[in-house]
Amino acid sequence: MDSYFMIDLVNVLISGLLIGSLYAIMALGLTIIHGVIRIFNFCHGGMSVLGGYLTFMFLSAFGFSLIPSIILSCLLMFGFGLILYRTSIAFLVKKPNWEITSVIFLLGLGILMENLILQLFGPRVKEVPLFFEDVFEFGSILIDQQDVVLVLFVIIFVLGLNLFFSRTWLGRSIRAVAQDMNGAKVVGINANRTLGLAFGLASAVTGLAGILLATKYYLTPQVGWDWMFKGFIIVVFGGLGTISGAIFAGLFLGLVESLITFYGSQSWVWPAWFVIFLIVLLIKPEGLFGRKSASY
Amino acid sequence: MAEKALHIELSRFGDRSMQDLINRKKLIILAALIMMAILPAVTQSPYIIHLFNVFFIWAIVVSNWNLIMGYAGIWSMANVAFLVIGCYTSALLSMHSGLPPVICIPLSGLVTMLVATLFIGLPSLRLRGIYIALLSMIFANMLPDILRITRHVTGGSIGLPEVPPLFEGITPLHSYYINFVAFIILLLVVYWIINSRTGLAFMALRDAYELATALGISEYREKLKVFALSSFSTGIAGGLYVHYNGIASPDLLYISTFLMAIAMMVVGGMGRFPGGVLGAALFVFGGEWLRMFGIARLTIMGGMICIFILFFPGGLMELVERLDNMIFQSRRKELPSLETE
Repeated sequence: MDSYFMIDLVNVLISGLLIGSLYAIMALGLTIIHGVIRIFNFCHGGMSVLGGYLTFMFLSAFGFSLIPSIILSCLLMFGFGLILYRTSIAFLVKKPNWEITSVIFLLGLGILMENLILQLFGPRVKEVPLFFEDVFEFGSILIDQQDVVLVLFVIIFVLGLNLFFSRTWLGRSIRAVAQDMNGAKVVGINANRTLGLAFGLASAVTGLAGILLATKYYLTPQVGWDWMFKGFIIVVFGGLGTISGAIFAGLFLGLVESLITFYGSQSWVWPAWFVIFLIVLLIKPEGLFGRKSASY
Repeated sequence: MAEKALHIELSRFGDRSMQDLINRKKLIILAALIMMAILPAVTQSPYIIHLFNVFFIWAIVVSNWNLIMGYAGIWSMANVAFLVIGCYTSALLSMHSGLPPVICIPLSGLVTMLVATLFIGLPSLRLRGIYIALLSMIFANMLPDILRITRHVTGGSIGLPEVPPLFEGITPLHSYYINFVAFIILLLVVYWIINSRTGLAFMALRDAYELATALGISEYREKLKVFALSSFSTGIAGGLYVHYNGIASPDLLYISTFLMAIAMMVVGGMGRFPGGVLGAALFVFGGEWLRMFGIARLTIMGGMICIFILFFPGGLMELVERLDNMIFQSRRKELPSLETE
């Protein structure tokens, strides 16, 4: 009896870690965009679903194999973000009420994207194939190879992104613009170009997160909203702009979710997340790892 | 007194067209109200009457949302959820407590006010706008799950199919006039708040925060007051809606309803008074017309939100003002924008 309980618990913990790492990568795109333009990307869900659908399209309509389609989709998402920034966001953020107008603009865009995807691809559930089909067996504990690969991929990706932001010229100039726009301009960084590239990078990361979530779960045009709200909670919980915070919060909330789903019911997941979010906002609005700053 | 001061202020600048505009606006609103009052004498079509009933409810909801978001600067994204809370409260009360629906509706307003103020209003005193947007969206996103958990009471994803009507033997015509009166009263309340000391306080807080607080304006008190009042009105609208409709259904929580409401507000004109009414009219009557595009309806709405935010952030009301400027060739200065930060 006891050993069954242990096995269940280990399985729950493993699936929690997996979900958590996927949520963490989901939150990365949000963090980058919030870092550079100080707004939450309310069409995050639409972008991630778009990434998933692009990969699906390359796989099914053009018959590419999985890795090239993922790379192509990320490139397309990069272009999408760049164009989006250049054509609209760059103008919106200069207006007097830029915060609320850009939030509503992005919300409208998310709705637009959801319904465009719905019309282009239809309402049916789509699936992106797994990287690997096999299963590792440790006694009575089963772990999908796919899951292991996903977690490893997320770790490598996050490390790579960290290196990008700390070592490369572009990454450092993005950070410079995020910290002090005028200072960055003084030392000769083209702020507008950098912001556009950062936005493109963020949407590529978001698209990638959508693809990874699609390999694990499924794709419908609406599913992005759920992912987006979870991403919001994670970035705020972990502390805005801190990648390690996002990962920690992602893992924590992933564990909470899988424990609740296993021992209670799926319906309790969102109420639990809401309560956690409310408590975090009221007690420590800067998040677990965030720095204290003036306004929340 | 204030009116006289405004009058002097305006005539000093030799700028009478603003008064003309206000008067024209008032005349048009009055004419529209009279037309709505005598409409049932002109057409008996149940379809038209039904559309107007829906329009009245949405106009109340969107105007109150506009008050919270456009004036008070609390970025609540959960006002459709408040409407749903009002619906379910009134439905459950009238089904289980034996109270007549006429009493249940104000009670549902109270319950909505309590829930909304507790979860969104109080945190909004501590947090910046965008965090309230997140919190309230997640709150709205959580409600279907709450309904599923309490399905033995609330009916889960099916809803409550047999909500009693407002009173026995009610006809669509009765509900038309009841909703019409509620529409007028609740919108007058909104208008009154905007033009009262509270509205002035928000303008002062927006234009000169330090000065306003030094003069003793409490941002917290004003925000809470407006929030409580408009969630109360939204709850009442929910009660009216559920007894008119006869069903309390979680369908209202779909993202498409939320989209329609936000489109009403943005296209109508955020932070401009009759904007919500205009937006509600456009999308309730125009939405029926958009139905012939079938599934593309929501795409068009999403596109409209983007276009209006990019090019006409003041919505239709801004367009109306611009047109008015063009037609009457006035040198009127820009009306002070009422949007908060």
